[in-house]
Amino acid sequence: MAKITVKVNGKVYSHEVEPRLLLAHYLREVLSLTGTHIGCDTSSCGSCTIHLDGQSVKSCSMLAVQADGCEITTIEGLAPSGSELHPLQEGFKECHGLQCGFCTTGMIMSAADFLQSNPDPSEEQIRHALEGNFCRCTGYHNIVKSVQWAAQKMKEDKAVTA
Amino acid sequence: MDLTGSHILNADTNRIWAMLMDTDTLARIVPGITRLEKTAENEYKAVAEIKMGPVSGSFSGGLTLQDIREGEGYTLHVKQSSKIGNADATIRIDLKPTDEGHTELVFDGGAKLSGLLARTGNRVMSGVAHTLTKQFFNNFEQEIETV
Amino acid sequence: MSNKYIGQSVRRTEDKRYITGKGRYTDDIKLVGMTHASFVRSPYAHARVISIDLSAAQNMPGVVAIFTGDDIKATGIVGVPTGWQVNFKNGDTMKEPPHPLLIATGSTSKHIGDPVAVVIAETYAAAVDASEAVEVEWEELDAVTDPFKAAQEGAALVHADAPGNLAFDWELGNPLSEVDEAIAQSAHVTSLEFVNQRMIPNAIEPRAYIGHYEEHIDKYTLYTSTQNPHLIRLLMCAFVLGLPEHKVRVLGPDVGGGFGSKIFHYTEEALVTWASKQINRPIKWTETRSEAFMLDAHGRDHVTKAEMGFDADGNVQALRIKTYANLGAYLSTFAPAVPTYLHGTLLQGLYTTPKIHIDLCGMFTHTVAVDAYRGAGRPEATYLLERLMDLAALEMGKDPVQLRKQNFIPAFNGVSEPGYQTQVALQYDSGNYQGVLDRGVEMLGYENFRQMQREAAQNGKLLGVGFSTYVEACGIAPSAVVGALGARAGLYESAQVRVQPTGKVSVYSGSHSHGQGHETTFAQVVADKLGIPMEDVDIIHGDSDAVAFGMGTYGSRSLAVGGSAIVKSIEKVLEKGAKIAAHKLECAEGDLEYAEGKWTVKGTDQSVSFGDVALTAYVPHVYPQGLEPGLDFSSFYDPANFTYPFGCHIAVVEVDTETGKVTLKRFIAVDDVGNVVNPMIVDGQIHGGLAQGIGQALLEGAIYDENGQLINGSYMDYAMPRADDLPMFELDRQETPCPHNPLGVKGAGEAGCIGSTPAVVNAVIDALWSGGHPVKDIRMPLTPERVWRAMQS
Repeated sequence: MAKITVKVNGKVYSHEVEPRLLLAHYLREVLSLTGTHIGCDTSSCGSCTIHLDGQSVKSCSMLAVQADGCEITTIEGLAPSGSELHPLQEGFKECHGLQCGFCTTGMIMSAADFLQSNPDPSEEQIRHALEGNFCRCTGYHNIVKSVQWAAQKMKEDKAVTA
Repeated sequence: MDLTGSHILNADTNRIWAMLMDTDTLARIVPGITRLEKTAENEYKAVAEIKMGPVSGSFSGGLTLQDIREGEGYTLHVKQSSKIGNADATIRIDLKPTDEGHTELVFDGGAKLSGLLARTGNRVMSGVAHTLTKQFFNNFEQEIETV
Repeated sequence: MSNKYIGQSVRRTEDKRYITGKGRYTDDIKLVGMTHASFVRSPYAHARVISIDLSAAQNMPGVVAIFTGDDIKATGIVGVPTGWQVNFKNGDTMKEPPHPLLIATGSTSKHIGDPVAVVIAETYAAAVDASEAVEVEWEELDAVTDPFKAAQEGAALVHADAPGNLAFDWELGNPLSEVDEAIAQSAHVTSLEFVNQRMIPNAIEPRAYIGHYEEHIDKYTLYTSTQNPHLIRLLMCAFVLGLPEHKVRVLGPDVGGGFGSKIFHYTEEALVTWASKQINRPIKWTETRSEAFMLDAHGRDHVTKAEMGFDADGNVQALRIKTYANLGAYLSTFAPAVPTYLHGTLLQGLYTTPKIHIDLCGMFTHTVAVDAYRGAGRPEATYLLERLMDLAALEMGKDPVQLRKQNFIPAFNGVSEPGYQTQVALQYDSGNYQGVLDRGVEMLGYENFRQMQREAAQNGKLLGVGFSTYVEACGIAPSAVVGALGARAGLYESAQVRVQPTGKVSVYSGSHSHGQGHETTFAQVVADKLGIPMEDVDIIHGDSDAVAFGMGTYGSRSLAVGGSAIVKSIEKVLEKGAKIAAHKLECAEGDLEYAEGKWTVKGTDQSVSFGDVALTAYVPHVYPQGLEPGLDFSSFYDPANFTYPFGCHIAVVEVDTETGKVTLKRFIAVDDVGNVVNPMIVDGQIHGGLAQGIGQALLEGAIYDENGQLINGSYMDYAMPRADDLPMFELDRQETPCPHNPLGVKGAGEAGCIGSTPAVVNAVIDALWSGGHPVKDIRMPLTPERVWRAMQS
């Protein structure tokens, strides 16, 4: 067993974990943050995407022990403080960017990281950015629209605060 | 999966044959093999460690020499199992003397894979087989040089 | 009544829990004392179990119990059944070999992943470790995976009692001799031999089950990622474990997609339920993606020869088909129905073809079961018809749009004009096929496209357009009809509308939502029918203890059948409510009209609100004599017919002549799914279907090697469409109401998947012809290599 300390959604946790425990399993089983989903065993589907020190990461592709000392945001902690929802969460609802909801949390986490680095993306850039996340329900059409909606909203919010 | 090819080795047929029939030599030149024990006449127990792209594992199983044609060749039957799947290969090996004490080793056969090995390893298997074959002949040549 | 919600793109009420990570899928559920299961599975497609050695595994840390096929055999549990019976042409019952929960010693595995033992342990990791330590000695046997090869003499046999690997042979349509004659007399015959390849459904949530037996109340609870909790309970209790249904609760929590694959009753569901009683603790099993690839029932997999005969003017005279349908090793829940009654019956298409005959062999192979996958039989029928149509147009030098139009069944509304009786058993309810085609062609800019295509060909670029017009049967289905066709269940739906004393409404539906948005669409219907705000309506589904009964969600049936059951219950609520209102207003019921949430005495301003009536029903102090208190009604709705959505799909592709790579430039879909309650949700359903249909055309397909190993059983190898594989879709719709259900709705869940595949393939073939490569067929998926080879031939 190895001891790790992580900050998840602003809260600090310390646990003894098996060295082989995946970060995705740590979040789900130990912290009961079940919004991070596991959809495959080859780090291909992106359902388990979280932010690790501000960057999107597939949490099935790293061990919990590797996250020791890191700051993690999961879907449960994505909404900025004081808001109920992140613009992407609003966008997915507004544009019907989800159906069964299983890939959605990972999709939103990937898109959130992407919009940080590219606040004004083209359709093509959005599609390219999300190619590591599978969705079987939507055909991606409304996911693209959701991300576009969120990008617009974030731009407007920024203009208001500026 | 097909396993075919040939290679010219820098030794005469008698010497190559002796090497191919020697357990210790085989254990040294077959890539991945960590242990080779004789269990009966022409039957061996083999343990191998192999890593191929997304799948890696410890294989154990049997190795049998069949259809032995003294100084000309034999058919190698390898049956290996592991947690990630099983491999079953039958390869006919023929030795042909070429000029000036060289020998051409021709092999022809195929392998059947099962389990995770087949499911996720198949995509990389022909590449892996190619690499392992190359390693085998490199090792063989080194063995010829050093002994 | 009000018209506030129906027809509006109301944003989904269920979304909030999903976008905040609060969805509750089966694998998210933890029970006190819960154990975890891991299966020991066959690494071979066909192998005999010589012996099983548990000694090492039993002593591993955390192991609670291990059960083998011999343990199951000793209990007398035979296995999971199929829900549909198809008979041989000679009237004999189909072959229905048992599908055991675990393979016993001496028996054989029949596809890779077939389980021999289950290890139950304190943690998931311990269960996996111990399952890897179970030593099984196998005797590997020959396997067959292709349905055509399985029918050949000398093929490896899947079941000893199914000679020739034939589960059944089957035919439908006009007498073969008449069809033969019509083909022989045709001026032109277009023939095509093709494979409709095997698809892997790939819902992103892997299947997950928790079995929980509680001794103190003698009750079982099964949490399952299913599309139909009640059907699972029925099959498991009555046909597998022999349990009393009132002692079994089946819960379908949030379910992460299904596409057919979560309709069926799987062996693991029964196994965790049974084993939970043996160890008196809850057991969870969640499959890995690797297992999902191997074990979730696959779809399609037909090998077909089809011939379509035309007269000299291009009028279709006859259609003759021979198909080998792969059923896999065991008959899954709906498997026998898919290639027969959901496929053969759709071969009329939208055309007036006077003579049709299909001859079909349902084949056993050493592969996992094939069953309903989005569209289930109708995509196979549409692919066959629409490929033939476009190919015939190319061969005869006719325009594919014109060829369709001249052969279309004329428009009929099913009310003042009768439904259309096909040659293959069905009666279409209503249709206007030319309407959708005309609109699609308009959106395409057809004239302009052909000009562009010619110019592109001159510049060495290949553009192609592919058409596909389809009709499908959904809203399944009238119980008496399907019963006569071999269904072992009715296909009605139930709904209970419980008006609470404060006028809030709880609706219990047997239709289970796993992404379709029932909580929103159903609430729109209820709110409008009652004239109350949507916020006052709650939709409850997925719990066999809460909902009276349900046949589940598949076959695009939820709104057409489940929604109709809700409407029936609402009618009962309003009928009783009127009695209470009349009493309160001291008038006759006939003097009342109901609108905007209140009963009003006609011609006056005297009214009583829905909430007042509800309260009175539960506080019946001043109340009609002899009337029961309460306002709570259940209904079962059994549809009068299938519903028949139809549409026109058009694909525009560019083919790279150097590499054979196909780029989908445009995709136009004009669908008529009857009346639409929530356009946003309907469009979403079409989008998803299109992606799966396009995926089949260009990317996807299961590959078994000759030994029965699934060699692309992972997301690294199975090419599922990604965001950058698809364009934005261009959608429009036409609304021809369904004449036989109260909402006039037809069904939208599968339409996108049914029409799209042939449109894409036709477009590639069209592109190749335009570049001087007159090829008839390229095997799907149309990978660059296959297209390139076709161009070289």
